Amino acid sequence: MAADVHKKKSWEVPNGSLAPGDGQHAERSESPTPGLAQGTEPGAGQEGAMFVHTRSYEDLTSPEDGAAAARSPEERRGEPAEQSSMEQISKDFSELSTQLTGMALDLDEEMRAGKEGKLEPSPQTARRDSVLSGKEEEDVTMDAWRSHRKHVFVLSEAGKPVYSRYGSEEALSSTMGVMMALVSFLEAEKNAIRSIHADGYKVVFVRRSPLVLVAVARTRQSEQEIAHELLYIYYQILSLLTWTQLNHIFQQKQNYDLRRLLAGSERITDNLLDLMAHDPSFLMGAVRCLPLAASVRDAVSSSLQQAKAKSLVFSILLSGNQLVSLVRKKDQFLHPIDLHLLFNLISSSSSFREGEAWTPICLPKFNSSGFFHAHISYLEQEMDLCLLLVSTDREDFFTVSDCKRRFQERLRRRGVQHALHEALRTPFYSVAQVGIPDLRHFIYKSKSSGLFTSPEIEAPYVQEEEKERLLGLYQYLHSRAHNSSRPLKNIYFTGPRENLLAWVTNAFELYVCYSPLGTKAGAINAVNKLMKWIRKEEDRLFILTPQTY
Amino acid sequence: MSQSAMSETYDFLFKFLVIGNAGTGKSCLLHQFIEKKFKDDSNHTIGVEFGSKIINVGGKYVKLQIWDTAGQERFRSVTRSYYRGAAGALLVYDITSRETYNALTNWLTDARMLASQNIVIILCGNKKDLDADREVTFLEASRFAQENELMFLETSALTGENVEEAFVQCARKILNKIESGELDPERMGSGIQYGDAALRQLRSPRRAQAQSAQECGC
Repeated sequence: MAADVHKKKSWEVPNGSLAPGDGQHAERSESPTPGLAQGTEPGAGQEGAMFVHTRSYEDLTSPEDGAAAARSPEERRGEPAEQSSMEQISKDFSELSTQLTGMALDLDEEMRAGKEGKLEPSPQTARRDSVLSGKEEEDVTMDAWRSHRKHVFVLSEAGKPVYSRYGSEEALSSTMGVMMALVSFLEAEKNAIRSIHADGYKVVFVRRSPLVLVAVARTRQSEQEIAHELLYIYYQILSLLTWTQLNHIFQQKQNYDLRRLLAGSERITDNLLDLMAHDPSFLMGAVRCLPLAASVRDAVSSSLQQAKAKSLVFSILLSGNQLVSLVRKKDQFLHPIDLHLLFNLISSSSSFREGEAWTPICLPKFNSSGFFHAHISYLEQEMDLCLLLVSTDREDFFTVSDCKRRFQERLRRRGVQHALHEALRTPFYSVAQVGIPDLRHFIYKSKSSGLFTSPEIEAPYVQEEEKERLLGLYQYLHSRAHNSSRPLKNIYFTGPRENLLAWVTNAFELYVCYSPLGTKAGAINAVNKLMKWIRKEEDRLFILTPQTY
Repeated sequence: MSQSAMSETYDFLFKFLVIGNAGTGKSCLLHQFIEKKFKDDSNHTIGVEFGSKIINVGGKYVKLQIWDTAGQERFRSVTRSYYRGAAGALLVYDITSRETYNALTNWLTDARMLASQNIVIILCGNKKDLDADREVTFLEASRFAQENELMFLETSALTGENVEEAFVQCARKILNKIESGELDPERMGSGIQYGDAALRQLRSPRRAQAQSAQECGC
């Protein structure tokens, strides 16, 4: 019986009833760690949460696993056909697998034709080149194009290219045609293609009518995680167009060239993909806060709260990709995914640095059918502090702009600007502050608040590829801990270059990286110390008292 | 009058719009006009960007409230909502791209349909500094401008050539229209407001006489 309980998808247990969730059940009574029940773990908000509760990425990927419960009502209403077909999918699985092997060979040949015997340039240099030179110049027949670690393609159901991470969409139209053919071929059999695994590649398909998203990856990520990233790309597209508009367009004209409407947004999508490879926020499905003394943060939050307007729904202050403060309308919750999309929008364009921008934006998890209007501006030119005021009224620019002025005035009057400047000078803390010798790095997420904390990545993870390798290890642990068929609660991983530990409970998730010389007993000891440290520092590392207007 | 006081005081406020295809340099024009600098790490504008500056046109201080719009099709509906209540517009194309020139007719159709009848539009052939790559001749564009009753200038956001002029000429034409009575600032949706300075003049009896004399000229 006890074993049964553990085997049950532990992540399906909801995270409490602090916020209106989608399809949530009652809270599970007992917690595996006494005293650390939901809402009492370090970093948990004291007066309720800021975000919609999520089960990190399961919230995104569960439809792929047949559990459609986590989808937002808008989506559920919009795609009834897909769910009913899900039951058919599991049928004839053996037939499918033989078909897939055949196809995998074909596609693999397509992907790697002419590659044999040639020297493969290091993926790292290729990556950087592509970032600098822009994708337009890249020739899709070249080896450099083939050697990218992760390709992402978006196409319409008519097989028309919408987006490609590398290379021009035109040059790839036949490749995308093949992808659509694969998808429709299996659908004709009342089946669905989810992934192809061959020769070190994973080809992952995500179907979100009227779009199909495909990733071809050589990373060590699990299929689930790649699908999760594809969904982020889908939400990114929704944030520009809304779900309603996207569907309307394709209902009117099936072979519409969506690139016309997405023109100029490639950079935002590119940036999102790069960000997901570096920033653990996306993996954790949580938001990182700028370390800030509680008194300063409270002063900032209440200044933000006082500078309100009728049409304002969210006031968000952020620095880099870290949250400084978030004030929301009562009873309105932001979803971490929506906040990630906002972070990405801001980090992908330098055009917000000057003046004030006013742009329509859809927050697909909040409401995928309509636009908000966001006022985006930096508080001071040289300072990396961006203010985002999300309003419901397109005509309200001057009112909202005045909110910014009032906010700045209050900040000045409270005299916290200096402290804020100081905090921005050291936006990351060092792991040495924890005082555990073998500890190299960690990620700690409080589930109830949807916030996580993590120190700066330091030596030996100095180089870009080392940093990505570390994140890759976390991704691996995360995928093992959240595996839909065999979730794990505790993992101790001994590697040649470091040891890692993962601990997932109802209240928190903890991923720790140690030097390879330590012992397992030492590692467990360190976890206790680390948890105590986080508890001690929680008012600096998290937002414990979220404000509402 | 001190510098700071001057920056707060103006006679008129005009709402301006900058429109045209993506990549023609609209944001760079605005940046050059406001900051007197060329912005070289420019991204596509997202939504609209807002900027303002006070200029002196023939002794009058005019505050320009400028909406710099995104050129992409995705934002066309947003842009459309800004035509209403605009007193002036800079319609921008890129002299090195015929495509952006060919799109002018569409932009004009939108403007004529949605903006107030009295909107003053100045056509700007931007990237004048890239003369070697020119695809649209000065003559051709100036004929187009004449046919459509637009003012016309070739500008360079890089060197700053004609940038200030474009805004000033547009503002001057609006002022002339106000003075000739063709434009009534009091009318709703004119995109024009009286500034503090003008109001003060209206209130102070001695000056109000001069002001009203001017206004009664219509």
